[in-house]
Amino acid sequence: MRFDGVWFRYGRRADWTLREVTRGIEAGQTVVVLGRNGAGKSTLLQLAAGVLRPSRGAVLDRPAIVGWVPERFPADQPFTAGDYLHRMASLRGRAASEADAWMERLLLTEHTGTRLPDLSKGTAQKVGLAQALIARPGLLILDEPWEGLDSVARTLIPEIVAEVTAAGGMVLVSDHRGEVAGLADATHWQVSDALVSEASAPAATALDEVIIEVKVRRAESPRVVAQLEAEGHQILEVRGVAAAQPQQGRSGPGLTIAPGGFSAREAGGGS
Amino acid sequence: MTSLVRMRLTGFLRGGRILAPAIAVLVVLGVIYGGGASPAAIAYGYSAAAVFPVLAWQSKLLLDTEPDTQRRLARVAVGGRREALAGLLAAGVLALLVCALAMGAPWIFNGIDTGQAVVSGTLLGVLAHLLAVPPAVALGALASRAVTRGARNGIAVLVTAAVLVVVLGLQGSVAPWLVPPVMATARALNDVKPPPVATVAVLVVWAVLWCGVAFGAYARLRRTRT
Repeated sequence: MRFDGVWFRYGRRADWTLREVTRGIEAGQTVVVLGRNGAGKSTLLQLAAGVLRPSRGAVLDRPAIVGWVPERFPADQPFTAGDYLHRMASLRGRAASEADAWMERLLLTEHTGTRLPDLSKGTAQKVGLAQALIARPGLLILDEPWEGLDSVARTLIPEIVAEVTAAGGMVLVSDHRGEVAGLADATHWQVSDALVSEASAPAATALDEVIIEVKVRRAESPRVVAQLEAEGHQILEVRGVAAAQPQQGRSGPGLTIAPGGFSAREAGGGS
Repeated sequence: MTSLVRMRLTGFLRGGRILAPAIAVLVVLGVIYGGGASPAAIAYGYSAAAVFPVLAWQSKLLLDTEPDTQRRLARVAVGGRREALAGLLAAGVLALLVCALAMGAPWIFNGIDTGQAVVSGTLLGVLAHLLAVPPAVALGALASRAVTRGARNGIAVLVTAAVLVVVLGLQGSVAPWLVPPVMATARALNDVKPPPVATVAVLVVWAVLWCGVAFGAYARLRRTRT
């Protein structure tokens, strides 16, 4: 599929949301669209889905079956989750059993009879995911799919993406919180200033790291800091425990460490 | 596409938004038939003209029931053209049901004078309602949120057009062809004697051409207004 010189704006007098986008997605490829809020990620995704029409240029060779998971599922509808998904399956010419299979896989079975407006945000989001997957899309478009999902469902997304690409499909995912670490072999596009450019994968920092707070005896702190830095960890802060947590009444510096290479910083460990 | 038509009708009926136009239709029927029995052609001619704005309004309500994002999901699922067509069909089916109610109800309350030209009058009445349904659906569609993008614009389009249908439809109007032949049909039927075939033919061609332009405009606008 190709964006061929695509320009888009929401009104004749509006500023361009996207300018001169010329990019392609190959079969089996996953593209992660990065950018800050309001940069135009959703617009790009909706142009890919065919929900929006380019103001200039064209989106060419779009696969016949597109699955689009909108950023916010439209839950204000007088259907139960099961009824809704059966109807969406029917729109796609699919059997109700295929909707049931996805409901089971996305752990929605217990919500079959729940009215859409009564679903929690995350569950409604899963209904949105299910409706996009029923038809086995050749192009799957996920707009911030992690929003509101529980940890079990989060782990399902990379799995589903891998299945779609393994079957020769394309996947376009937008993400502004850097949760894409789980998507292997993804290409990254950066949307900023209405332009879409190829980006390197976001640095592994911030994505795969954790912060550990460790309490050590004051006398040993210089040696521990040096040792941790020697091992490549990043010291974010060294602070006195009493200063930070006076109710405990015990002294001794606390270290906050993360992998990397910053130097230690005294943050008030004098009491 | 039938699935989408059914889904939209179900959504509209379950949401309870049909209540307001349904009450409006009952009020209109009460006004038309409250004064006693009239010959079928005359009664139905007025009925078709009187329910026209209500049919347009309920068409707009039906098309506006679905959240914008759901309309776009339907577009992704069945394609832009079929999504737009399914909305028009759903509105048309509902309008036909309301017309059937508008034509059937007076028989229960003895609103139709059974003494003269009942069959021809009823057939002309069916024609009058059939000539009112497509323009009403087209007007409702052009006033729908997908096209007008805001509640205020939508109501402005609907009210202005409904007033113009009456004003420009009056006898001696300067530009009667700008609006569908709703008033012209009511006038043609305002006699116990059936109108000449030529008059009926002109009304049908007029309605078809007007609808062609209106639906064409809707299809064109919906290409970019999703």
